[in-house]
Amino acid sequence: MVESLLIETRNLTKSYGPHVALDDLNLNIPHGATGLLGPNGAGKSTFLKTMLGLIQVTSGEGSILGYDIRTEGEEIRSKIGYMPEYDALNPKMDAIYQVQYSGELLGMNPNIALSRAHQALEYVGLGEQRYRTVETFSTGMKQATKLACALVHDPELIIADEPSNGLDAKAREFMLQTLENTVRQGQKSVLMASHLMEDVERVCENIVLLHKGKLAAQGKIEDLKAIDKEVEIHVWGHATKMEEGLLDKGMKVRREGRVMRVRYQDDSTYHTILSTAAKCETQIRKMHDHEASLEDLFLVIMERLGYDVKGSEALLGDLS
Amino acid sequence: MLHPESPVTGQTRMDSAWGSQTGDEDVHAKVTQASVDAGQIFEQEYKPWNGTLNPRWMRNWAILRHHLLGIVFKGHRPWGVVTRIVLLLIFLGSLSSAAMVLLSGVVGDSTLASMWGINRENMYGHVLGFFPRNIIFYPIIAAILVGGMISEDRSNGTSALYFSRPISRVDYTSMKFLSIAIILFFVIDGTLAVYYFAEVLVMGRGWSWILDTFPMFLLAAFSGLLLAITYTSIGLALSSLSKGRFFPGIGLLAVIMGTKTLAAIIEALFDKTILYVISPFDCIAHIAQSLMSIESTYQHPWTWSLASIVCINIGALYILTARVSTLEVTRE
Repeated sequence: MVESLLIETRNLTKSYGPHVALDDLNLNIPHGATGLLGPNGAGKSTFLKTMLGLIQVTSGEGSILGYDIRTEGEEIRSKIGYMPEYDALNPKMDAIYQVQYSGELLGMNPNIALSRAHQALEYVGLGEQRYRTVETFSTGMKQATKLACALVHDPELIIADEPSNGLDAKAREFMLQTLENTVRQGQKSVLMASHLMEDVERVCENIVLLHKGKLAAQGKIEDLKAIDKEVEIHVWGHATKMEEGLLDKGMKVRREGRVMRVRYQDDSTYHTILSTAAKCETQIRKMHDHEASLEDLFLVIMERLGYDVKGSEALLGDLS
Repeated sequence: MLHPESPVTGQTRMDSAWGSQTGDEDVHAKVTQASVDAGQIFEQEYKPWNGTLNPRWMRNWAILRHHLLGIVFKGHRPWGVVTRIVLLLIFLGSLSSAAMVLLSGVVGDSTLASMWGINRENMYGHVLGFFPRNIIFYPIIAAILVGGMISEDRSNGTSALYFSRPISRVDYTSMKFLSIAIILFFVIDGTLAVYYFAEVLVMGRGWSWILDTFPMFLLAAFSGLLLAITYTSIGLALSSLSKGRFFPGIGLLAVIMGTKTLAAIIEALFDKTILYVISPFDCIAHIAQSLMSIESTYQHPWTWSLASIVCINIGALYILTARVSTLEVTRE
């Protein structure tokens, strides 16, 4: 296994009877922030449990932070801070003691755990509210408390399952900023499962997309976006003629009024566009590379997988 | 003068406020600006920690402390006020035998001393006397204690807090079990010890008396331990089945009282005691009677009760472990 990788799997398969939850996964996830995406039933939860060393894999191998997921689950869970998606806090406990206890469960001395709990709650913005019981907290404050529980022992990797789930705009912004800070300032890695493309794009440099237990895409978001690179042009006059001219030259064109997006093939794409415009006597008033969003990228990926989806909601929600 | 928060809404109000003047002066109304929410100064700074995590025993100790100290101190498992009060009342109630020994000593009446003093029947009665201890005290405190012990982790999702950390399911179950068993043991056998040593102190018993009675004390304490273990395993099994506190509590009472009632009805109708093997309390009582050489109230051999209590505990522990293994870290 390569030491510099955060997570590495080779032919990782997990089956529940006839149902294959993870199918021959080969992952190479570097340190830093990685988004874990996939529709319901894609195998995200199984993948997380496998990474935490909680379930035995059917075949294949894998490592996380250099530890074998098959035999070193306890060491893995000592080095990881896990932030669950749903409520995982005792509503009757004060936030400070909740975080302290989560530190003690990792083997921290009670006094040190208390001291770290203060720091962790301060970091997630709950410094003033730390002696309030969790049941009096808003959803955002509960999410922040869960993050503090995950950060109490200064883990090398934070696994955040839907960290912005149910948060209002302000709380969501703060949560994402906190995760970003943890990666940039704290030099920690984050594996973030989310169905919100914007959130993943904001925090993560890498993504892993699972679909029906299989790996649909992995890599740097920037690199993956290149597969959907387009050149956007704003034209004036003879737009239809221009569109037809580009299509005749084998270009892939999407048009909405005077705005066209031409699929980038190679550097000759620009020359083709300009020569076609000259031939059609069309003015090109603006031309630039179009930066695809993560949403665009997923539409392309799913299109390639043979699914006709309208957007990420369909992609991550109902598709099965 | 305008109140800082008084709104200035229009000319009429201005005229009224400045009406004593002619109106030609160069005057200005001083209106306090609406307060601006300047926010709070918050600088997010990630602070690393380079400490070392302690091994497994420390993690298990943390779980045990969390549950045990929560009865008395803040900052640990928050036990309800009612639970604490009932526990205190039952603890004090269980000390009644020791109180009677003290009273005998103070009064100096030998009849009272022989009635309440230490002997095998009284020690058996302290642990396994039916009324009030095993119809009110011990089943009720067991039911209150086990109620939310595991079910609350399922309903609050706090199982994720344990299993996403290096806590195994065996450690989790063992420590929860120990927490309840220790409290029950403290109430049952702790008060038995107070009772025994109160007699030693108050009546001025010597070494020969202690040597004579101490084996009986140990056998009674063993019976109390068996009672604490059995109630804990049944109660936790029920707690692991549920997401609430009520079902495990009432379920435990139903198992203890229901089986005894059914067996008592069968005994009354057919004069057979064999059905008492399904009653956890009666099984332990039968075993204790045999161990302490007290005249048995059951017709069947005590080994049947022993086999039955072993089976009951194995069954309960099987349910407990099977259900704990279903507690999830990710969404259920």
